Amino acid sequence: MSYLSISHVTKQFGNTVVVDDFNLEIEKGEFVSFLGPSGCGKTTTLRMVAGFEIPTSGKILLDGADITDKAPNQRNVGMIFQSYALFPNMTVAQNIAFGLSVRKESREMITQRVDEMINLINLEKHATKYPYQLSGGQQQRVSLARALAIHPQVLLLDEPLSALDAKIRVSLRAEIRAIQKKLGITAIFVTHDQEEALSISDRIVVMNVGVMEQVGTPFEVYNFPTTVFSANFVGSLNNASAEVVNPASGFISIDGVQFESAVDLTQRKSGDKVRVAIRPERLSFASEQKKANVVDATIENITFLGSVVRIRVKIGGTKFNMDTFNNPFLDLPKIGAVEQITCSREAVLVLDE
Amino acid sequence: MKSSQTSDPQLSNVTVGGASRPPRLNFGHWLGVIPFFVFSGLFLIAPTLILAYRSLEGANGGLTLENYQQLVSDTVISAYAMSIKISLTTAILGGLIGFLIAWVVSMGGLPPRFRLITTTFSGVAANFAGVPLASAYVFTLGRVGLVTALFKMFGVELYKNGFSLYSFLGLILVYLYFQIPLMVLTILPALDGLKREWREAAENLGATPVQYWSRVAFPVLMPSILGTMILLFGNSFGAHATAYALTGGLFNLATLLIGQQISGDVLHNPGLGYAVAMGMVIIMAFSILIYSILQRRSERWLK
Amino acid sequence: MMPSPVSTAVAVKPSATRKRLGSWLIFSAVSLYFLIPLGATFYWSLRGQKDVLGFEAYRKLFADTNFLPAFSESIVNAVATIFISLLIVVPTAYWVTLRLPKLRPVVEFITLLPFVIPGIVLVFGIIRLYSRPPLLLTATYDSSRILLICVYVALSFPYMFRSVDNGLRAIDVRTLTEAAQSLGANWTTILFKVIFPNLRVALLSGALLTFAIVIGELTIALYMAQHTLGPYMANLTRSKVYEPSAMAIVAFAITWAAMGIIDFVGRGSSKHLQMADTE
Repeated sequence: MSYLSISHVTKQFGNTVVVDDFNLEIEKGEFVSFLGPSGCGKTTTLRMVAGFEIPTSGKILLDGADITDKAPNQRNVGMIFQSYALFPNMTVAQNIAFGLSVRKESREMITQRVDEMINLINLEKHATKYPYQLSGGQQQRVSLARALAIHPQVLLLDEPLSALDAKIRVSLRAEIRAIQKKLGITAIFVTHDQEEALSISDRIVVMNVGVMEQVGTPFEVYNFPTTVFSANFVGSLNNASAEVVNPASGFISIDGVQFESAVDLTQRKSGDKVRVAIRPERLSFASEQKKANVVDATIENITFLGSVVRIRVKIGGTKFNMDTFNNPFLDLPKIGAVEQITCSREAVLVLDE
Repeated sequence: MKSSQTSDPQLSNVTVGGASRPPRLNFGHWLGVIPFFVFSGLFLIAPTLILAYRSLEGANGGLTLENYQQLVSDTVISAYAMSIKISLTTAILGGLIGFLIAWVVSMGGLPPRFRLITTTFSGVAANFAGVPLASAYVFTLGRVGLVTALFKMFGVELYKNGFSLYSFLGLILVYLYFQIPLMVLTILPALDGLKREWREAAENLGATPVQYWSRVAFPVLMPSILGTMILLFGNSFGAHATAYALTGGLFNLATLLIGQQISGDVLHNPGLGYAVAMGMVIIMAFSILIYSILQRRSERWLK
Repeated sequence: MMPSPVSTAVAVKPSATRKRLGSWLIFSAVSLYFLIPLGATFYWSLRGQKDVLGFEAYRKLFADTNFLPAFSESIVNAVATIFISLLIVVPTAYWVTLRLPKLRPVVEFITLLPFVIPGIVLVFGIIRLYSRPPLLLTATYDSSRILLICVYVALSFPYMFRSVDNGLRAIDVRTLTEAAQSLGANWTTILFKVIFPNLRVALLSGALLTFAIVIGELTIALYMAQHTLGPYMANLTRSKVYEPSAMAIVAFAITWAAMGIIDFVGRGSSKHLQMADTE
């Protein structure tokens, strides 16, 4: 039995199904991200774990106990909000102490725990400041400390980094991950930012319109997306409709141009419509020894993106993006030139249309 | 988005205005604001200053505090006391009832339509002071008022049981008619400023609703509530028309006393009259000052 | 992010039902307090004729030879006040926002003065200052009337300034001005073609609020011996039986109309702005 179990959870607001049959088992100490666009039901699912919403049907078990209908203030789960939600009338220390003091813990215990938490987030100098005197990043760290002070069984983070500047976002997410690992706490992290989810999580749940699209490690979700949505949402992607040419040998055809895929196509028939997805960085200029998937491509456009150069090419009638690492000696082709382009068989993903 | 718009222009103005143009005192620059200062000077500031000056003038010329020392005379003290008593009572009652109503229509579970009705009506009632309000109460609770008559039908003679519309209690009832709406109008935005996340964070950390209200919501709202009550105090303290229309100007109230002093020197000492007027200004200035300090704190918290 | 009404989680609990019941109770009780005086006054206003309910009291009121002159005089005063006040406040607010930001605290302080100086004190000072040489402005009825309007203008500054200032903030006047300038517009064009149209709602609410306050103003008009609506109403309550009730209802209707229009146009414009926001 897993530590946190969300089984067959459905949530409706009126006639709108916001979360549809959500199933997930989370192990103790695991860091799981819910990733999806706004309106996909990720936040609602999180709020059901926190107790702010009651599932229309389904069950949520935490460490073996059914918490589905339990009031939020009886649950002992810590929540971090996008807007920090620090109490403006209290200092940093008072904010962190709040959960302990409403539990009527002893004064010594509270002081000790608050000190511990303030050390954990490195805000020793700011303990007596009010939230409005702190930066966004500092405020969110306080809110992390406040949630952790009550020894929650699960830590829930609702887009905690979305309101912050890009640089703080990256450093704070590393800090969150480090603290989570150090304390061994189970965490659910809601985000719409795929890079964030990929970098921080043990596992990612990709969600779309209330439905779980894919569950897997960041490696799996990025490299082996199982649905078109998940392939598109995580990372950038070329995708095109294609036709199965030979199921046994893995040949498909995109607009007349043949590609060979490592994906098992034996369940499909020749002539089946499928969707083909290839990551831009898996495409490259063909060198002598490459044999498979070498095709002619017309160079249409070259965009400089810093560490990466994105080249827009046309293969047959279909346009593809090809990413290649930038270096000062890069020998870029001319626009309009025809070059040979290749990708490995493993890079050609075949998904249902 | 909105908050950055409201706070930014001031800052950017200072830098842009200062950087792009050398500091020259161009007359055209000031032209737009001169009429404003002239009007304020002639019709607000100068009349007050003349009263201030006269209040410091002795009976035989020269500057003195004599007139202010005479404020302790019975007539003046009792008028001030009644004004302050009425203002305090209506500020506290109006504040409490107004807060309750604001809470009820914003988070008490009533249909949203009721909030709209309440704010519109409050806008009307807060500006409905003066003669019409006094008349309305005469027709309701005066000697032949409708409610008085209704009570009589049930065997209760209000006016034989010590009630009078033209008394302390009566004035309280009347003043609340504009005090409660003013509280509703000023406290509603503060209630809206309470973020849903604060309640959720409190619940999430194990707080009961009572703990949330006593430790978070009320402390956060306190500056607004207190500040607005002080505003109500001033609003009632300076009110003249309603009391005048209700009592014919003969009730012992600071504003009515000044009215009598204007019509004829009832205090038999012009200098004292000026001191009474200035005393009101000082009390009003003091309350407005506290109000703005509290308001600033509350804005910082609720933004 | 998700449309998640808070009530759904709470609605099932009995405490929520209790809360709603309490809310209804409080709301009804306070509503009664506010509606009964209006109802009673309205009832009286229909009893102008013996034993019949009708509009006799209103007819008598409008037939009173003093009513219409007082009413129209108050309307003219109010309109004059609004006009002058707008002419003064709009440039002031615009200048303070755009060119003289350092003056803002001073202007804001001055707009607080009408709250600090009670009307009765102000009129006291006005009389002492302007009713004797060298500044004899109360010599004739008309000169007094002009003085009264000037005082009203000064008293309207807080409402006008706040309305206009909020309006200016809502439209980001600096950017609009710069955009207009960069397109070659001069100052008058900017003011009349760009700023004013965008401030319509703000100007209208400031104007209507001023109207509601000035139209029945008693204290200052009374001690300056003006025959406006305020003193007329005060006199009416002492001399007539039924007409004051009709008068109170009419006054209430005027206030209601002014506030209703403010609400209505205000709501329209905020909806407009919100839509612009989401796009």
